[in-house]
Amino acid sequence: MSYSLTTLWYDRQRFLPGVLAVSFSAVLIALQCGLLLGLFSVTSIPIDHTRAHIWLCPPSVLSVDVARPIPEWYLSRLASQPEVDQCEIYIQAFGQWVKPTGGAELCIVIGSRLEDNALGAVEELTPALRTALTEPGAVVIDDSELDRLSISGIGATGEINGHRVRVVGMVHGLKSIAGPYIFCSIETARAVLMSRMSPENYKATYILARCKNPADAPAVVARLRNQDIEAHRDRPTMAVFTASEFSLRSRLHWLFKTKAGIALGYAALLGLLVGAVVTSQTLYAATAAAVREYAVLQALGIPRWRMAMAVMSQSFWVGISGVIIAFPTVFCLAWVADLMGAKVLLPPELLAGSGAVTLVMAVLSGLAAMRSLRMVEPAILLR
Amino acid sequence: MMDDLPRTTPTLQGRNLTRTFGEGEVKATALDGVSLELCPGQISLLMGPSGSGKSTLLAVLSGLLRPTSGQVVSLDEDLWKMSDRERERFRLRYCGFIFQGYNLFPALSARQQLEMVLRWGEGTHFREARRRSDEMLSLLGLGKKSHLRPAEMSGGEKQRVAIGRALIKEPMFCFADEPTAALDWAHGEQVVELLRTAAHERGSTILIVAHDHRVIPYADRLFYLEDGTLKDPELAESLPHATGSGRHSAYSRNDL
Repeated sequence: MSYSLTTLWYDRQRFLPGVLAVSFSAVLIALQCGLLLGLFSVTSIPIDHTRAHIWLCPPSVLSVDVARPIPEWYLSRLASQPEVDQCEIYIQAFGQWVKPTGGAELCIVIGSRLEDNALGAVEELTPALRTALTEPGAVVIDDSELDRLSISGIGATGEINGHRVRVVGMVHGLKSIAGPYIFCSIETARAVLMSRMSPENYKATYILARCKNPADAPAVVARLRNQDIEAHRDRPTMAVFTASEFSLRSRLHWLFKTKAGIALGYAALLGLLVGAVVTSQTLYAATAAAVREYAVLQALGIPRWRMAMAVMSQSFWVGISGVIIAFPTVFCLAWVADLMGAKVLLPPELLAGSGAVTLVMAVLSGLAAMRSLRMVEPAILLR
Repeated sequence: MMDDLPRTTPTLQGRNLTRTFGEGEVKATALDGVSLELCPGQISLLMGPSGSGKSTLLAVLSGLLRPTSGQVVSLDEDLWKMSDRERERFRLRYCGFIFQGYNLFPALSARQQLEMVLRWGEGTHFREARRRSDEMLSLLGLGKKSHLRPAEMSGGEKQRVAIGRALIKEPMFCFADEPTAALDWAHGEQVVELLRTAAHERGSTILIVAHDHRVIPYADRLFYLEDGTLKDPELAESLPHATGSGRHSAYSRNDL
């Protein structure tokens, strides 16, 4: 075992603050980023939980939840593509949910086909729920939104834009940031939103398509973009994306255009700073405590760089120890957050990145701690 | 190299050494024109009252503290004309040190304390460093205690580990500052015996700074420092327990 690791284990109480500080930083960064990813993954639920490969959108659309109507006949633009197997209309727009108890709540009305092969129906809509939605005015909501909508559950009625609707079922895990998702049929969506849609032939928000071979989607998207540019150089009539592109675009819109992403990023940065300060102070104190021992080594001719390497090695092991403690802690806290309704996504890249950033921070803290080696002068050992 | 040098040829010479601290009204002179010579295979004992400059002289002679003026010639090299890096390499190759406090790393075993010097200093391979460390610890009577940490050892054992750390490199010079001060005499005598073995059997040049007059009989040469200058060593020898044979009075022999 290396001397640094031996010392770290023997003096673990002394190094504990540094290890915990590294762990704290890693947990904070991973959780903040995971919360961020989880939070904004909600914004792309309509894309990520459906079967479409291609989304044809209004021009300059920023996010899936802020789109204007487009003509229904845009269906033919997608249907004419040889790689496309299926395409359909999809409606999504904001509405005003009038609460039975008074007041109103912004909601997002999503209207889709309800057949088994529907591209726009979220996968959480079971065949039974889709059958129930064929009733005019029937809606399905997420079970976490009952309080926001001030309703009791299945069978409750409400009003959207002056149109009466009835809750016929609930799904789980589809909580929204902006306003509760209200899932319904195309017909119900048009009835509820018709007064907000103009002109008469603009009866869709998106046109969805599915390719025979999913790998063909990017090529279809590129072709449609080129065709639109060639035909309408100065005034594009549409935007078209693959599902993954549109999902990322929607999330990034919420990340950068809202202050939530900046606030969470700031918190993560502060966590890193706190971790760096505590870790460097811990290492400084540990090195200062051994200054006489290091002075003997220097008297014996051991070069200073060797001692510096020992300090850096200690900071590396402090970092590794902190990261090892952080991983199970992150998963525990993510589970607790999920119980409270906050989604935390922890992809392997995020965990690896958090660990790497924190480890670099710990090693750099070792550099700051090396100023204690300046106190090492063999002459201090003499009376 | 130690075997090649005649025992009467000095390996270390201090010439007209002066060292002051502070300036103006608070200026203090720790060494005032001190000159001496140390020879291989001998234990030289430097004594004197507290504040006489003994530790300062040891530091200057060993390359740890720069003199204000004067010269230190060691193995025909002017020690204080070297760069810091050259002096560091000189100490690495030729010098061992024993200090009053053991200054052992609390987390490391006796074996690891010695291995560290070889691996970090000479770049010795792990297995060779272990072998030499175990050999040295056996010589020091600590063969069965090589795995113990300082907290598990007595004061005498710790100081023997410190001696082992100083001698593991087989240095030409060994500088010891009050090596027996923190020990009872039974253990202190062991320490001095080890240093005498290093001098007489290996030919090392040993300089011990000590207050303890019981060390005098073990010394081959005696220096007495008072107020920064060397005085007649008889001043130290006139005290009780100061018996000995074959010891030379360095004051009378040196043409200072």
